[in-house]
Amino acid sequence: MAGVRETQKLETRRKVLEAARDLFNEIGYEETTIRAVAERAGVSVGSVFTTFASKADVLSQVMDDRVDALHSELERVARHMRGSTVDRLSSLFAIHYDFECRRVRLFLAHIAASFSPSLDASTIPYGRNIRFKDMIIDMLRDGQAKGEVRDDADLALILDTLMGAYAWNYRLAASQGADNLIMTEIMERQIRLIFAGLQPR
Amino acid sequence: MNHIPMRMHAPAIRPQKMTRRALAKQQTREKVLQSARDLFIERGYEGATIRDIARAAGMSTGAVFASFTDKNELFDAILNDDFAGLVEPMQDAVVGATTSREALVGMFGAAYRAHAHQLPLIQAALAASWTRTPEAERLRREAMRPIRSLVQEVLERGVERGELTQKFDLRVVADMLWDLYLAGYRPAAFEGLSVENQTDKLAERIDVIMSAIKA
Repeated sequence: MAGVRETQKLETRRKVLEAARDLFNEIGYEETTIRAVAERAGVSVGSVFTTFASKADVLSQVMDDRVDALHSELERVARHMRGSTVDRLSSLFAIHYDFECRRVRLFLAHIAASFSPSLDASTIPYGRNIRFKDMIIDMLRDGQAKGEVRDDADLALILDTLMGAYAWNYRLAASQGADNLIMTEIMERQIRLIFAGLQPR
Repeated sequence: MNHIPMRMHAPAIRPQKMTRRALAKQQTREKVLQSARDLFIERGYEGATIRDIARAAGMSTGAVFASFTDKNELFDAILNDDFAGLVEPMQDAVVGATTSREALVGMFGAAYRAHAHQLPLIQAALAASWTRTPEAERLRREAMRPIRSLVQEVLERGVERGELTQKFDLRVVADMLWDLYLAGYRPAAFEGLSVENQTDKLAERIDVIMSAIKA
């Protein structure tokens, strides 16, 4: 059983994350101060800082919680997805672009924060999401089983290359205001290209 | 066997004649840029103030503001200079290469090497790149154009030499390679990867692309 103190800490954490999520959505990440988050959550500024190391830390938790719900759903439905490995991967990335573009400024702030030189140990920077990566690896393995991907392909390397392409495509959103459909289309071309080099010899 | 050389030609840069006043202004600008660069590398973007930069350059904050409207613009100017400075080492790497792969690994490796001593600066630049103003974005794109077109030229030359397939849109391929190159700064900054390891890691990713686009 968690002690009273532990329960209180979890409660503070929940309240802070909820308040931060709402404020980030309403006024943006840059404009949101920790003081405002504390006020909305009904806790002291000090207690925010005993739970979180920084504003970037709060953001990373908000983003992680947010995408977690999506992943729980995706893990359930992924096995029902039909089509070639290229098609299934394209769908998986399309769903992510769609999801993140609903709050694209926030997502870009999240990516930007992952380059911060002062990342805290508790912060989960963008790009370390294991569940997303596991789903992709599963699809690639499946592709191998179906003979669509070479047996000797280095799946970890392919994963990395795909994730790199996926993440950096968000620069189109940052620099040109591209929407999820544009990024999805480019991603699909990139997946096809990578797969052209993965066909069994 | 093909004998089309990998050499690319950079447009010649013609030095302009300057008035004494313009020259003095440029010297001030360069002094500010140098001091700012040193401080950004030492303390990061947030840690270096305009006041510190002015002091290090031996001038007033007012003199700094005569050349740059704010810290952001100063920072961008340093990076844009940096990218301009990359063209030559990257071109040199391409000249010595005999295959497209070698040219690509060589040119990006040269860029990593040039940036190795100022990773904090690059890291701050990458962080800022997700939330730039349209004007800053336009200037950056302008500054990067020569290097980005170098990537494209290497690929075009590869197709001409019959080494690479014509099947794919080379702009898409060039963009992917460029993004992989930029992504390679992250492990260098966070995991302290050496330039050699950083380049090897990128080479593996380039090979993923190469196996798709080879003729």
